[in-house]
Amino acid sequence: MAKRVRTITLVLLVAILGVSLFAGGQAEAAKKVINVWSFTDEVPKMIERYKELHPEFDYEIKTTIIATTDGAYQPALDQALIGGGADAPDIYAAEAAFVLKYTQGDAKQYAATYKDLGIDVDRLLKEADIAQYTVDIGSNERGLVALGYQATGGAFIYRRSIAKDVWETDDPQVIKTKIGPGLDKFFEAAEALKRKGYAIVSGDGDLWHAVENSSDKGWVVDGKLYLDPKREAFIDHSKRLMDNGYHNDTQDWTDAWFADMKGANPKQAFGFFGPAWLINYVMAGNSGGTKIGEGTYGDWAVCEPPIGFFWGGTWVLANRDTKVKDAVAELIEWITLDSSETGLQYFWANGTLFGAGGTKDSVASGTVMSKSDGSLDFLGGQDMFEAFVPAGAFATGKNLTQYDETINSTWRAQVREYTAGNKTRAQAIADFKRMVFETLDLPGN
Amino acid sequence: MRSGRTLPLLIFIFFAIAILSEGWNIVRKKSVSYAKYGYIFSIPFVVAFLVFSLYPIVYTLVIGFTDLRGLGVKEYHFLRTAEGNLDLFGNFRTVLNNKTFTTSLKNTIILWTANFIPQISMALLLTAWFTDRNFKVKGQGAYKILIYMPNIITAATIAILFNSLFGYPKGPVNDLLMKLKCIDGPRNFSLQRWTARGVVSFIQFWMWYGNTMIVLIAGVLGINPSLFEAAEIDGATPTQIFFRITLPLLRTILLYVLVTSMIGGLQMFDIPKLFLNGGPDQATITSSMFIHEQAFSGSYLYNRASAASIIVFGIIIVLSIILFQILKDKDEVARRKYLRAQRKAARRRVNS
Repeated sequence: MAKRVRTITLVLLVAILGVSLFAGGQAEAAKKVINVWSFTDEVPKMIERYKELHPEFDYEIKTTIIATTDGAYQPALDQALIGGGADAPDIYAAEAAFVLKYTQGDAKQYAATYKDLGIDVDRLLKEADIAQYTVDIGSNERGLVALGYQATGGAFIYRRSIAKDVWETDDPQVIKTKIGPGLDKFFEAAEALKRKGYAIVSGDGDLWHAVENSSDKGWVVDGKLYLDPKREAFIDHSKRLMDNGYHNDTQDWTDAWFADMKGANPKQAFGFFGPAWLINYVMAGNSGGTKIGEGTYGDWAVCEPPIGFFWGGTWVLANRDTKVKDAVAELIEWITLDSSETGLQYFWANGTLFGAGGTKDSVASGTVMSKSDGSLDFLGGQDMFEAFVPAGAFATGKNLTQYDETINSTWRAQVREYTAGNKTRAQAIADFKRMVFETLDLPGN
Repeated sequence: MRSGRTLPLLIFIFFAIAILSEGWNIVRKKSVSYAKYGYIFSIPFVVAFLVFSLYPIVYTLVIGFTDLRGLGVKEYHFLRTAEGNLDLFGNFRTVLNNKTFTTSLKNTIILWTANFIPQISMALLLTAWFTDRNFKVKGQGAYKILIYMPNIITAATIAILFNSLFGYPKGPVNDLLMKLKCIDGPRNFSLQRWTARGVVSFIQFWMWYGNTMIVLIAGVLGINPSLFEAAEIDGATPTQIFFRITLPLLRTILLYVLVTSMIGGLQMFDIPKLFLNGGPDQATITSSMFIHEQAFSGSYLYNRASAASIIVFGIIIVLSIILFQILKDKDEVARRKYLRAQRKAARRRVNS
């Protein structure tokens, strides 16, 4: 009896040990499945739509969606890529905040180049006229591994009624000369707005997105923390906004920030820095209305920003070990490089992917935007592409690093400490450098 | 130089054999024993524990001494100095000299103390009321449920709720204080170190005092009622009964509450993380958040994160031992010692 118990226990233990240690090494079954990993349902929905439009595309799509909140997406995706096997992602999406890790950083080895997938990259890039910054972000020394479908070049989005009150016109061609080019003109405009009782922006975060993505270098140069002069100057800009009352001192993504989109704060905010997605997915829903005349809906316009920048975006990558290379290539080409009227981006730009009347968005392909209609009721009928096509050209994609999320929040927290008067400028910068070093082991310069 | 997973595996197998052979010794005894069923039924737990708890712990222990960092890296080596001598405690030195780590430890202790003192006081007070034999609180069940309720909601939800309650420049708390004329203009609470700490401690307190109360009430109900009756007949006041009878007899339960709460408190993560992400200016960063940031915020310093976890683990053990010593029932220990000595003496008498 005792012996049998012992044998059974041993066998059980060995079996469980074996399973847990060697799991993932099973042979792959030959099936036509494409694993898609994303942090929103946007890319999976596109692929489902592609299947509907192309019934002959006979693959089962298995999607895994993990939100980026609490930093949950990256560790899960990393493990899936490291683990490999049948359930490894074939197509995966990455957001601007961390795409660099997957294209040029620690996880770049998992990405397949578009060329290896069999996509005629050089021809299609030219044909589609893709903004250079998205290509820069998506390339490493092996070649192009990621592209987006959205263009996230930023513009300045302002209230027409306030513009008329201060400058007697709401024409984007005029307003862009009032607020820019350059931040000196921007602060002149802030003073003019203040005299009439307006704030130029909602909080310093609005300006930060523009400053961050127009700086020449990223946070890390040669393995060391680098504080780009433009980013360092942000601490002074922020202080200036604060001391002069040029903003409402809100923080982005908080209630007070959203309130400025429908003009609900006592001091009305003139505008926001942002790409097209900010208009369509954030501002429209928070404007307090759904048609012209309600809330601030229809009271907005876009013009060239005082400094060029981009903000956000989704890049699409393929696993270099994918077993369904041709299908993956087909999907990726349709999403990122197809500039025809049956390509994803044409549907996306015109808001017709799921039938007429959907949300319009600016897309990566200049070719597509030039033949699409970007007029929005929200912007009082203005064609948003006239501002967003040039916006893509101003943006630079050479200043991102895989550490951005952490370093940005550390930096902005220290800037807030300084502007609130809790610290001196030198102390805030020193603390910032210390914290980055202690958290990320990146020495300062 | 050893690399790969060999070492942790060896230790793991050693433990597995040690534990199982202990079991067999008992199974082998000739007398009729039902203990073996106990062992059989506990196999799933033991195996799950070995694979999912012990192995990761041992692995953590090992990589704390190595150079393992970076995403997807599997090779690692024990730390060496530039001259090639073993330098096993390099990570520990780095972590202990890390100001963010010391700040996080300090914060953890502040946050835990600030939540535990009101928590245990409130729980004791409510326990005294709810178990008082003289005045029956009406609708006790409803009160207990209401008090326990915050514990059911996810901590993450509450942290985010409080974040928007304390919103700036617009938020319910600011609006209320301005309506009550306590402040003239909106205050940016998320920049005030002690407000942030206070809110985090308050959330912890508010979530857990109900739970502590339930445990304490259960403890009081376990006390022999004749003791209370005797005290009443002898003319003790309720206050006297509480301090002279209830509290001393609750000692073991209190120890349990204290130790579990301390372990939970030293691992505090979700509330400070989601409330202000450790801010303002690291005022609410806890040691668990520090460990998480070392490992997952961009540089993947797995070795340092492990070293920090081991340090925190050590602190928990030391503090637990101290608590056990302080709260040990001294009479009981003395009685046992006495009994043991007597038994020994008796045996000696028989033998001689």
